[in-house]
Amino acid sequence: MTHDATAAVNPIRIKDVSGFYGPSRVLDSINLEIPRNRITAIIGPSGCGKSTLLKCFNRLIDLVEGASYSGQIIVDGVDVLGKDADVLEIRRKIGLIAQKPTPLPLSIFDNVAYGPRIYGQKDRAELEKIVRHYLEVAGLWEEVKDRLKTPAINLSIGQQQRLCLARGIAVDPEILLCDEPTSALDPVSSQHFEEQLKLLKEKYTIVIVTHNIHQAMRLADYVAYIYLGELIESGPAAEVFENPKDERTKAYIKGVFLNDLPPEAGERSGSNPEDFGGRDEDPDVQHGRILVPGLSEGD
Amino acid sequence: MKGLMIAALTIVVGSLIAIIGVVVWKGLPSLSIEMLTETPRGGYYTSTGGGGILNAIVGSLYLAFGSTLIALVISVPAAFALQDEYLGRTRYAGRLRLALDVLWGTPSIVYGAFGFIVMLYLGIRASLLGGIIVLTLLQIPIMIRAMEEVIRMVPREIKEASAVLGATRWETTTRVVVHQVAPGIITAVLLAFGRGIGDAASVLFTAGYTDSLPGSLFEPVASLPLAVFFQLGMPYPEVQARAYTAALILLVIVLLLSLASRALAKRFRKNILR
Repeated sequence: MTHDATAAVNPIRIKDVSGFYGPSRVLDSINLEIPRNRITAIIGPSGCGKSTLLKCFNRLIDLVEGASYSGQIIVDGVDVLGKDADVLEIRRKIGLIAQKPTPLPLSIFDNVAYGPRIYGQKDRAELEKIVRHYLEVAGLWEEVKDRLKTPAINLSIGQQQRLCLARGIAVDPEILLCDEPTSALDPVSSQHFEEQLKLLKEKYTIVIVTHNIHQAMRLADYVAYIYLGELIESGPAAEVFENPKDERTKAYIKGVFLNDLPPEAGERSGSNPEDFGGRDEDPDVQHGRILVPGLSEGD
Repeated sequence: MKGLMIAALTIVVGSLIAIIGVVVWKGLPSLSIEMLTETPRGGYYTSTGGGGILNAIVGSLYLAFGSTLIALVISVPAAFALQDEYLGRTRYAGRLRLALDVLWGTPSIVYGAFGFIVMLYLGIRASLLGGIIVLTLLQIPIMIRAMEEVIRMVPREIKEASAVLGATRWETTTRVVVHQVAPGIITAVLLAFGRGIGDAASVLFTAGYTDSLPGSLFEPVASLPLAVFFQLGMPYPEVQARAYTAALILLVIVLLLSLASRALAKRFRKNILR
């Protein structure tokens, strides 16, 4: 993985970020730099705090009842966690693709046009151009071009997620956050979505939260491993995956591979408390530890 | 258990059929073009007059549409204000809901009596305006609570999907939530309209009754529920039959409106995840 100049310039700096749900601390002083125009994967078992961290970037955490945070996240010299930060501008600049595809109760066209419209674009021809462009970028245009006026909820779930991608980038963000964007998708749709993401990193800084290590390996240039609210290890993906420095990272990655073997083929390190790997595309098989009772990832 | 269910359903469907059946059976014979197009001749309380009950039909439509419209204008903002993003998480929201529930449960004769006192105090006599005001008060709690239940059911993910694009909560409410709740709002309006057009007690003192068509906001108006009430109380079978005709017309108006609102709600529902 090349660590060239463009990525090193102007990274997103996460400084001392802690997150709380009520009195419980779910993120413990995270310090991390996220390079621009790369895909950075935040990995870790369910409930480790990775979604909470993601929700800090665009201040979606403000909408979560009982959640609070401290620290700084510096994007282009601005602290997005600052008291007087312009939250709406931050959200335009930092898009989010949610775990579950959530089309708005509108037509396909109106879903993509939603963002541009709230920023004042009224010109029909211009909107048509925008919608077409971003549907093309999201790899959905060919499938929906003849039924743009039909309800978005009639799309398949994989198409819905690509529609959400098109809607997210139609407001021209610089950073795209993806919160386990394929966990609700079937394998074929997941693959399709991943390919779309790979194409997008030329233009966007992508931060993807995933408990699917294989996905992280396929996509990520950089990786950060979070466990029980703590940043354990981060760095270029190849380094972290092939040569993890921390024992816990090692155990997590190794655990995943052991779990992938058929039960009779290999000994399971079941006694290891950190061994809860995920199986591909199947979040239900996760044995992640829930840090706060009743508060699992994506809640 | 199965027997209980069947019994319950039989009672429900049976009474519906019985009600419609009796009203049609008793009301249909007196139904005529004259009934629908003329005002009563010689007073609604005599058997000799003839004529129709156009005064009550028009009066009821004025009263019900007028009050539904005003109640709608007041209820929509109030119901949206009870969302979590606005007042919903404050203690005022809970108190407001309680107050509305109490108002919803208040018997309409109490509304009528209250309206009567207010009108006496203000020196207004029974009139279309008085009726509209009292019916508006009667409808508001029904509308707000029914709308608010629907608005509260809007999935948080949808509001978040709008928020993450940089939409304000106002934009989210007016451009997204509204689409999601439109069918529910239509249902709420219908529910309130049905209560308004069918209520006799609240308009008894406030709107009065008259044999002529409503002339102005400040004159008394007739209404279908009172046409039923007064005519049924007369000792002449011919007049009593006219009461059933008025009931039949009332039933048909509500039925037509239900069908229309269902068709309307269906159009709005196509974009919504069920």
